[in-house]
Amino acid sequence: MMQKTPKYRSQMRIYVDIMRVIQREYNQAKPTRILYGANLSHDRLLKYLEELKTLGVIEEIIDGDDRFYKLTQKGIEFLNEFRGIERFAGAFGFVI
Amino acid sequence: MVGPLWFVGFDSLMELAAFLIALAIAYQALKGYRLTKQRTLLYVHFSFVLLSAGLLVDSFAGFLGILARAFRVTVALTLVGYSIYFLAQLLAYGLLIYAYVSQTRSLSMTPVPLLLAPLFSSVTLQAAPGPLIRLLGPLVEYHPIPEIVLLFLIFYIAVQTGLNYSDTKDRNAFLVFLAFLFLALSHLFFILEPVRPLLFVIGHVLQLSGFLSLLMMLLRVTSTK
Repeated sequence: MMQKTPKYRSQMRIYVDIMRVIQREYNQAKPTRILYGANLSHDRLLKYLEELKTLGVIEEIIDGDDRFYKLTQKGIEFLNEFRGIERFAGAFGFVI
Repeated sequence: MVGPLWFVGFDSLMELAAFLIALAIAYQALKGYRLTKQRTLLYVHFSFVLLSAGLLVDSFAGFLGILARAFRVTVALTLVGYSIYFLAQLLAYGLLIYAYVSQTRSLSMTPVPLLLAPLFSSVTLQAAPGPLIRLLGPLVEYHPIPEIVLLFLIFYIAVQTGLNYSDTKDRNAFLVFLAFLFLALSHLFFILEPVRPLLFVIGHVLQLSGFLSLLMMLLRVTSTK
């Protein structure tokens, strides 16, 4: 039986995992939540969060001592688009 | 290809419909590649571009063949159309198989027996019943060998998509499996076509059904939010 789990996650997959954690948290997630949800080390999480901010798909909100991350409209649209592509690829048996 | 007289033209119309569906699948795969930069999606894109181009050429060759007055021109047109269509399908299925094999390599486990399928197909081809093929040869406008090659290639893809469905139990995966199963059966019916002209009609109906199944999958994945 073929196991459909790649050895390593692609950069795209990590981006999507981070964004999905934020979406799951009602579009307002703390870094610790994302860290556990996306299964990343602290250093890598910070690196990817910066990259996602640069891409304009998430935004950082600082509220006193608290720091949250939210999906932007572009991020929400990206996730919707990605879901369709993931289903399409999955229907053929390809893992993204 | 030959079939019942009443069916002349319908085959080209069916191929034209299949061409449009293949083009839509190719477009969706390209969209996916642009978004994810996943190479397998690029292979799917080129595979369906080739399929759609082949279908369009064969369809137009069929239409032109009907319009052509001289019989010799008709035969040449349909033969050229079929040859291009065959090459396009060969490359398209080859690309899809390459996509499956390359993905399998990057996954943690490898279904070794499946990797042997292309080898099996080539060995079986060499051992194909020569006298039978020679017997059928004069009855058809094309040699059945190309269809046998395509049958083996698409059978491999059908098995892969079938395994994917058994793994995921997903409806979209089932539609893709059904599509390639129909396409494989259509090649089988095209091989058997000299036995009974109606098999040519059934082959085309199965081919279109395969593409319609892909269209259903495409509509499902693009419409579901």
